Amino acid sequence: MPRCSTACSASSPSTGARIRELAERPLSDSAQNGWWARVDRAARSIETWLIVAVLGGLIVLGAAQIVLRNFFSIGFAWADGLARLCVLWLGLLGALAASRDGRHITMGALARWLPPRLRIVAAVCGALFGAGVSAALAWVSLRFVGDSREFGDTLLDGVPAWWLQAIMPVAFALMACQFVGEAIKRLRGGAVSETPL
Amino acid sequence: MKVLVGVALVVVTLLGAPLFSVIGAGALLGFAREGTDLSVVAIEFFGLSETPVLVAIPLFTFAGFLLSAGRAPARLVRLSQALLGWLPGGLAIISLVACAIFTAFTGASGVTIIALGALLYPALREVGYDERFNLGLITSSGSLGLLFAPSLPLILYGIVAEAPIDDLFAAGLLPGILMIVVLASYCYWRNRKVAYRATDGSWAAAWAAIREARWDLPLPIVVLGGIYGGFFAVSEAAAVTALYVALVELVILREVAWRDLPRIMRESMVLVGAILVILGVSLASTNLMIDTGVPQRLFAWVSGYVTGPTTFMIALLVFLLILGAILDIFSATVLIVPLLLPIAAQYGIDPIHLGIVFLAAMELGYLTPPVGLNLFIASHRFEKDITEIYWATQPFLLVSLLAVIIIAFWPDLSLMLLNR
Repeated sequence: MPRCSTACSASSPSTGARIRELAERPLSDSAQNGWWARVDRAARSIETWLIVAVLGGLIVLGAAQIVLRNFFSIGFAWADGLARLCVLWLGLLGALAASRDGRHITMGALARWLPPRLRIVAAVCGALFGAGVSAALAWVSLRFVGDSREFGDTLLDGVPAWWLQAIMPVAFALMACQFVGEAIKRLRGGAVSETPL
Repeated sequence: MKVLVGVALVVVTLLGAPLFSVIGAGALLGFAREGTDLSVVAIEFFGLSETPVLVAIPLFTFAGFLLSAGRAPARLVRLSQALLGWLPGGLAIISLVACAIFTAFTGASGVTIIALGALLYPALREVGYDERFNLGLITSSGSLGLLFAPSLPLILYGIVAEAPIDDLFAAGLLPGILMIVVLASYCYWRNRKVAYRATDGSWAAAWAAIREARWDLPLPIVVLGGIYGGFFAVSEAAAVTALYVALVELVILREVAWRDLPRIMRESMVLVGAILVILGVSLASTNLMIDTGVPQRLFAWVSGYVTGPTTFMIALLVFLLILGAILDIFSATVLIVPLLLPIAAQYGIDPIHLGIVFLAAMELGYLTPPVGLNLFIASHRFEKDITEIYWATQPFLLVSLLAVIIIAFWPDLSLMLLNR
């Protein structure tokens, strides 16, 4: 466990204890009510059910392909493409879920040894940086999808490509919101769960 | 300016910014400097949907998470105990084998320590091994087995290096066994004075354990037999595995309730998403590095110091051990392998052998501070101080290092099972 070092012992004991408590308090204590929490819960379940639908579909699709090919010698040209698009969707939905659960891969292990007050600062900086880059990625994805729509690109035998690509700007934009939310939560004194991976 | 940006990126990384955002920022800034239209980053990211083998990653990961949610870990421990319990140093070796098999299926994400540690830790203590040995054993077993098919790091390496996955699966087998044998020998030697109480080693017990595991035992056969028998591709084997595990856990044995399924799916996709988003932005950053000639410059720099394959291998091992201490295996694979491959090729290193050496060395990274994932998970799981866990793993780390050195300097160990 990280220990309180010089920085917090310098301030008054009650402040130090308060900051330490803030840095270590689990998310659930501070975020159970209020409109943000309701939005968060709704978004979480939409996210989860989309994951269930896409992953379930991918499993059924893969198994159906094997059965059809080996027993009936039937194959669909679009099936492989669809399976690969499912992976893109799962990756982005999973990344969004990882943002919500605070489980992105980071190299922040060193920050665990910081004194509690600085740990909050580090977490806020990290989250804001994540928000900025996610927003930038959402913006470049939006341009990519826009171009694809303009040129009338198609995938899977004639489906407009931008329908399937639209998940990219949407997921990155939501991730940006999520990181901003995390930074605000940190500043207001709730800790975000820090399970390694 | 360039240096300033680099320093800023390192600082935010150390503050705990998500790694994908750091790599993404690097790619965006780099392309902006080159004057390229930035939507190239999105185009590269979309490349995630153009890699056929990638389909295997969510499917195998889900299957692994579902397996650990049911009672498969307990059955695996019981089966290894029934089959290997008669060996001297039995339970330690059982732990190694069970953890290795389980890790191969769960993708070396630390799930092993949580799922199997709880079963093995008390059992080890009961047999009479000392506390420190048990902690070290469980912690280091948590990443053992990532050289065995169908582990996530193996598949990811194959995708990044554009190497055939079935070749990698075959290549990992003997080096993976070597790692287990070397560690098992250490366990035996270390506990040679512990009075060994044989577990119930009767034929009846073995038969009961096999019967109990009758639904799990076909899994390796389905995965490996299907791939090498030519019945289906790796991604299809993954779909079959996911469907089979779902059928067994949800319908036949009913160890996992349907209402838990969404949670398990979400949990597994959190891991997949965390890896794929890094892979996606790395596709862009790798492209940038190749465009700007980074591999050539790196090779020119390396060849100034490294003269032959042997010196290269030594330098590589030192580099990988440091890398493993600061970066997790998935990020390291997508970031470093594209740079490493062309350099290794100049020294005549086979890309498949390079993959096995890379992963074996990165496996040690799970045990080295400051970021060793296993250290954190074990510390959390067993409520011990992280320094205590660290010292307990030291002997295991050194012994595994020996195995890695053998794997590095004996290419045929990795390559002899390949059909070439």
